[in-house]
Amino acid sequence: MEIIMAVLAGLLFATAIYNLLQKQILRIIIGTVLLSHGAHLFILTMGKLKRGDPPIIVEGAGPFTDPLPQALILTSIVISFGVTSFLLVLAYRASTLNKTDNMEELRGSEHE
Amino acid sequence: MIYAVFAPLIITLLIPLLSKWKERVHTGWFILPVPILIFIYFVQFVGENFTPHSESYSWIPSLNISIDFYLDGLSLLFVLLISGIGSLVVLYSIYYLHKSEQLKQFYIYLYIFMFSMLGVVLSDNVFVLYSFWEFTSLSSFLLIGYWHYRERSRYGALKSMLITVFGGLSLFGGLITLSVITETTSIQAMIEQKDLIVNHSLFPLILVFILLGAFTKSAQFPFHIWLPDAMEAPTPVSAYLHSATMVKAGIFLVARFSPILGGEPSFFIIVSLFGIVTLFWASFMAVRQTDLKGILAFSTVSQLGMIMAMLGFGTDVAIFAAVFHILNHATFKGSLFMIAGIVDHETGTRDVRKLGGLMTFMPMSATLALFGVFSMAGVPLPFFNGFYSKELFFESAIDLPGFSGAFVEFLQQAIPYIAVIGSIFTFVYSMYLFFSTFRGKYKEHELKTKPHEAPLGMLISPSILVLGVILIGLFPNMVNESFLAHAATAVFGDGFHAHEVKFWHGWESPALRMSLIVVGVGTILAITRKKWTSVYTVFPRRLSFNELYNYIVDSIEKGSTKITETYMTGSIRHYVSYILGSILIITGAILFITNGVTIEFDDLAPITIPEILVGLTMAIAAIASIFTNNRLSLIIIVGVVGYGLSVLFVIYRAPDLALTQLIVETVTVALFLLCFKHLPELKNLPSHPGVKSINFLISVGFGVLVTLIGISSHSSKLFSPISEYFIEESVPLGGGHNVVNVILVDMRGLDTLFEITVLGIAALAIYALIKLRHDKEAK
Amino acid sequence: MSNIAVLPILIPLVAGIITIFFHKKIKAVRFFAKLVTLLNLGVAVWIGYYVIQNGTVVLETGDWVAPYGIVMVADRLAIFLVITTNIIATACVFFAQHSLSLKQEQFYFYTFYFLLITGVSGAFLTGDLFNLFVFYEVLLMASYGLVILGGERVQLRESLKYVLLNLFSSMLFVTTVAFLYSVVGTINMAQIAQRVQEVEQTGILTTIGIVLFFVFATKGAIFPLYFWLPKSYIVPNTVVSALFGALLTKVGIYSILRTFTLMFTNDTGVTHELFIWLAALSMLFGVIGALSTNNIKLIIAYNIIPAVGFMLMGIGLLNDAGISGSVYYLIHDMIIKAALFLMVGALAYLAGTSDLTKMKGMIHHYPLLGWMFFIGSLVLAGIPPFSGFIGKLLLLRGGIEEERFVIVVIGLLTSLLILLSMMRIFMRGFWGEKPDIKVQPKQARKLMMPAVFLLTLSIILGIGAEWFYPHVDTITTELLDQGSYIDSVLKE
Repeated sequence: MEIIMAVLAGLLFATAIYNLLQKQILRIIIGTVLLSHGAHLFILTMGKLKRGDPPIIVEGAGPFTDPLPQALILTSIVISFGVTSFLLVLAYRASTLNKTDNMEELRGSEHE
Repeated sequence: MIYAVFAPLIITLLIPLLSKWKERVHTGWFILPVPILIFIYFVQFVGENFTPHSESYSWIPSLNISIDFYLDGLSLLFVLLISGIGSLVVLYSIYYLHKSEQLKQFYIYLYIFMFSMLGVVLSDNVFVLYSFWEFTSLSSFLLIGYWHYRERSRYGALKSMLITVFGGLSLFGGLITLSVITETTSIQAMIEQKDLIVNHSLFPLILVFILLGAFTKSAQFPFHIWLPDAMEAPTPVSAYLHSATMVKAGIFLVARFSPILGGEPSFFIIVSLFGIVTLFWASFMAVRQTDLKGILAFSTVSQLGMIMAMLGFGTDVAIFAAVFHILNHATFKGSLFMIAGIVDHETGTRDVRKLGGLMTFMPMSATLALFGVFSMAGVPLPFFNGFYSKELFFESAIDLPGFSGAFVEFLQQAIPYIAVIGSIFTFVYSMYLFFSTFRGKYKEHELKTKPHEAPLGMLISPSILVLGVILIGLFPNMVNESFLAHAATAVFGDGFHAHEVKFWHGWESPALRMSLIVVGVGTILAITRKKWTSVYTVFPRRLSFNELYNYIVDSIEKGSTKITETYMTGSIRHYVSYILGSILIITGAILFITNGVTIEFDDLAPITIPEILVGLTMAIAAIASIFTNNRLSLIIIVGVVGYGLSVLFVIYRAPDLALTQLIVETVTVALFLLCFKHLPELKNLPSHPGVKSINFLISVGFGVLVTLIGISSHSSKLFSPISEYFIEESVPLGGGHNVVNVILVDMRGLDTLFEITVLGIAALAIYALIKLRHDKEAK
Repeated sequence: MSNIAVLPILIPLVAGIITIFFHKKIKAVRFFAKLVTLLNLGVAVWIGYYVIQNGTVVLETGDWVAPYGIVMVADRLAIFLVITTNIIATACVFFAQHSLSLKQEQFYFYTFYFLLITGVSGAFLTGDLFNLFVFYEVLLMASYGLVILGGERVQLRESLKYVLLNLFSSMLFVTTVAFLYSVVGTINMAQIAQRVQEVEQTGILTTIGIVLFFVFATKGAIFPLYFWLPKSYIVPNTVVSALFGALLTKVGIYSILRTFTLMFTNDTGVTHELFIWLAALSMLFGVIGALSTNNIKLIIAYNIIPAVGFMLMGIGLLNDAGISGSVYYLIHDMIIKAALFLMVGALAYLAGTSDLTKMKGMIHHYPLLGWMFFIGSLVLAGIPPFSGFIGKLLLLRGGIEEERFVIVVIGLLTSLLILLSMMRIFMRGFWGEKPDIKVQPKQARKLMMPAVFLLTLSIILGIGAEWFYPHVDTITTELLDQGSYIDSVLKE
C-alpha cells in the first residue's frame, strides 16, 4: 500500500507542478495547495501505514502507528494553511492592483 | 622603520584638519617635511658596509600574516626613490596645483600612495606585500580620476584600475600558491626553498601568475595600454606614480622574486621576451604621439621594457644595469615630466603640433629638458647618466645566459638587434620631443596665452633631478659600491661582484659600436621623421590593443545585459521551470550514480478497496485540475483532494490529522471562493505546444523523481525510529494518552509555539494587505 | 545555564508580540524596538562569551532528552551568527524610522522585524531538522510581511513570485525531512549525522542530501535557483532589503554548511564536487547579473549571488582553509551586504533615483557617503586589509591546496568583476559634474550613521582579524569533527 500511496503523492506533486507552470494565478495557487497535500501524504507514508492502532494509549491498544509523522504533518498543515491564505490574499491584491491575473503579464521591467 | 612607512598614512589623517589654513598657505607646505624626513632616515643606511635590516610586527599571526619589513639593497634603492622623488613632486605640486583645487583629496591620495609604495618595497610577508600592492593600484585610480568631471579622466582611471587590479589578483593567486607549497609567507624564507619551488609541478603556474602581476603593473606589452591614458592625472602624479615609482613596482616584483624564480629558462624567455618587445613597440609608438605626456608615457613603457628585459637576462651585468637604470630613469624621466607639466602650465597645451620655439621664452626649462632628453636618448657624453646604463644594457644583450633550446637560441640571436632598433626609436622620440617643443617655429596663434618662464619654485624640483643626471653621469661610481651594488646583490645573490662603471671602453667595445649606430641612424631618422611617419597608418587603429580593451569592457557590459535578460525574464513560469528542471536533472543523475533506488515489497501494508477508491478519486481529481477551465470546478476539485486526504488520514489511524485537515480544507475552500469571486473566469490561454510539452516533462519527471526517492526511503528503513520512545514515555513522562498531542504540546512544544507564530504573522500580514488597500482607496 | 540558548529567540518573539498591541503609538514602539534590539545584542554577546568560555551550550527544550525532544545548540558557529544577526538588526532598527513612512512603520514593521530576527536566530540555533523547517517558515512568513509593506503594485507583483518559489521549496523541505526520517528514524541533526556515518551514507541517503541541499540552495540563492532573488530584494523598503540581503540567503548557506559538514560527508566525490561547480557558476552568473544593470539597488542585490558562490566553494572544498574561509566570508558578507544596501538606499533616496544613468557627481554633496561606498566596494571585492580579503585568502588557499585551479581562477576573476560592478556605481553616481539637486545634509547624516557603524565593524573584522580568526579556526575544527557536535548533543 505504501508504494501506491507514494505514487499517489508523486502524482499530486506532478499535477501540482503542472499547475504551477501555468499562467493564471488561480491555477498556480491551486498548484501550491496540491503540493502541500502531496507533501503531507508523503510524510504519512514514511511512517508505516496501518501497522497498529491510532497512537492513543488506552488499555488493550497497541502496537501503535508511528506518531511522529502525524505530529509533523499537523504542524505542517497549520503552517501551509497560513501561507496559503496569505498567498491567496496577496494574489488577489496583486492581480487587482496590476489589473491582470496572468502571471506572464506580471514580468516587469528594470526601472520602476 | 615602521614609523617611516606609516608616517604618510598618519599624515593623511591630519590633512583634513589642515584645510582650515588652506586659504592662506598651500597645504603642500605642511606635509612636505614628511617625505624629506623619510628620505633622510633611509639615506643613512647607504654605505659600503650596508647589511640588510629587518623589523617585525605581528598582525594576524594565526594566518601567518605579519608586518615584516626587510630592508636590503633593492628596497633601499626604492625607498630612496619613493621618498626622494616624492619630496620633489610635493614641492613641485605646490606650484603646479592652485589653492582653489581640492588639495585635501589630492594630498590624501598621494600620501596613501606613498605609504603603500613604501610598504610594497619593504614587505617581506607576501600577503602584506599584496595588500600594499593593491593600495598602490587604488590610489593610482583615485589620482588619475582626480579631475573626475572629465570623461577622459574617468576612462583612464577605470582602465588603469582594471588592468592593474587584474594583475594584482593574479599576483595574489601566485603568492597563495607559493605560500601553500613552501608553507611560509616570508619571501626570504621562500628564497631558501628555491629548489623545491622550481622543481614543483606548479612552478609554471606560479611564474605566470606572478609575472602577470608584474607585467600589468609595469605596463609591459600588451598591458601597456593603461599608462598613456593614465596621463589624465595631474602632472606631478604622472611624474611620481606613472614614471618614477608605481610603474616600477612590477620591476621591483620581478627583481624581488628573481632569486626564487630566476635562473630558469622559462623565466628568461618570458621576461626577456616581454621586456624586449615592450622596449621596441613602445619606443616605436612614442614617435607617433602628439601629446607631450603621451610621448613620455610611451617612453616610460619602453624604458620599463628595457629594465624588465635586463632582469630577464639575469646575468650580473644585466642586473647591475637594471638597478642602475631604475635610478637613472627616475632622474631624467622625472625631470622631463615636470618640464612637460611646466610647458602645459605656461602655454595651456601639451600638443606638440601647437608648440614650438619655446626656447626663447623658457630658456631654463629648455636647458633642463635638454639634459633629460639627451640622457634618455643615451647620447655618449660623460654627463648623461642614461648613457652608462644604456651601454651596460647593450653589453648584457650580447652576453646572454647560455640556456639551450631552439627558441632560446633564436631569442639570443634576436635580442641584440631588437635592442638596437628599440634604442634608435628611443633616440628619435627623444629628439622629436625636445626639438618640436623648444626649437622650430613659434606658433603664436595656436596658444591662448603668451608663454613665459615658469616661477622659480616650479623649476627647483626638475633642476635637482637634472643635477642628479649630471652628477651620476660625471661620477658614476659614486653610487656604485655604496648603493647600487647592494641592490644588485639583493637581486642576483651573494655572487655579485661590483664592477667599476667606465665611460670609455675603447673602440673595440661592441656596446660602443651599438651606441654609435643608435646615434647615427637615430639622427637620420629624427631629421627625416616627417617623411616616414606614414608607416604608422599601416596599422589600422581597429586592431590595436586599446580597441581590444574597449571591446572587452564594452562586451562585458553589453554581454552581461544580454545574458541576464535572456533568463531573468520576470516570468514565474520560466523561473519555476529552470529551478525544477535543474533540481530534476541533477538529483536524478545523482540518484542514478549512487544507485539510490531500492524497492522493497516485503514490509508493506495490505492493499484494501476503500483506500484504493479514495486514492483513485484523489488522483482523478488532481489530474482533472489540469483540464478544467472553470474556476468553481477547479476549487471544488481541490476540495475533493483535500477531503480525500482527510479520509486517508482516518484510514491510516490519524484521527487528529483528519480533523485538522477537514477544518483547514473547509476554510481554505471558503477563502478561495471569497477571494476569487471578483476574478475573471479562467480562460484557456493558448500556450505554445513546445512549452506545454516542457511543462509536462518537468512535472511528470519531478513526480517520478519524488516518488522514487519516497519509495526508496521507505524501502530502506535502516534504524528504528525515535518515536518508539514517544509511545513509551507519553503517559509516564508526558502525562497524556494521545501521543500525537503529547508530542505537539510537550515533546515538540517549540514547533507548535512557532507554528502558531507563523499563523499569527500570516494573519497580521493579511490584515496589513487588506488594510493598506482600504487606506489607499480612502485617499 | 543551558536555558540561555533560547534567549535570542525568545526575546524578539516576545518583543514582536508586544509591538502588535502598540502599533499605533509609533514613538513608543520605536524606542522599545531599539531598546530590545540592543538588549538582545547584549544577550547574544554574553552567550557568545559564555560559549567561548564553557563550550557548546545545549538546551533540551521541555527537558526532553536529545534526540527525542527539540534541542537548541549554541555552538560557536551558531552563536557567532546570532551575534552578527543582532548587529545587523541594530543597524537596521536605527535606520528604519528614517527610511520608512509612518504608515509602513505602523503596519507592523517592528513586529515583522522582530519575528524575522526570531526566525533567523532560531534557524541558526536549532539542532532539529524539522524545527529548522519551522523556523524557516517563521522567518519566511515575517519576510512576506515585510516585503509587501507599502503595498505598491511592483512590490506585490515581485513578492508573489518570491512567496511562490519559497513555498515550493518549503514543501520540498518537509517532504525531504520525512524521507530522511524514514531512512534513519530520527530528525535530530546530531543523531542523523551519527546514523548516516554508521551506514556510510549508502543508498538513497546521498540523494536525500542533495534534495535537502536544493531546498537550502533555493533560500541561499545558489545557481541555478536564485531567480527570485534580485527583484524581490529591491522592491521593498531599503531597510527591508538590507535585512533580507544580510540575513535570508545566509540562513540557507548556514544550513548547507551545517548539513554538509555534519551529516552528509561520506560521498564528497558526488556532493561536494557538485558544490564546487555550482559555486563557480554562481560567481559567474551573479557577477554577470551585477554588471547587467544600471539600477544601483539591483547591482547590490545581484552581488549577493557571487558571495554565496564563494561560501559554497569553501563548503565544497571541505578542508580547513576552505571551511574557515566560508565561515569568515559568511560573517563578513552579512555585515557588508547590510551596509551596502543601507548605503545604496541612502544614495537612491538622496539622488531621487536608483538609475545610474540619471545620477552624477553625488560626491560633491555627500563626500562621506561617497567614501564609505568606495571602502564598502573594496571590502566587497576582497581588497586587503578589509574583511573580504581574509575570507577570500582562506578560500583561495583552500582551493589551491586541493589543486582546483579552475575555481581559483574564476574566484579571482569574479573579484575583479565585482570591483568593476561597484566602481560603475562609484564612477557614474559619485564622480562627475556637480549635480543640481536638493541637498539634505541632515537627512543624509541620519541615513548614514547605521552604515558607518556596520562599515567600521567590517573594517575591524579585516584589520583586526587576529581577534576573530582564532575563533573561526576553532569553529572549523568543530565543524570538521562531526564527533564533537554529536557528542555535545547526544552526550555519549
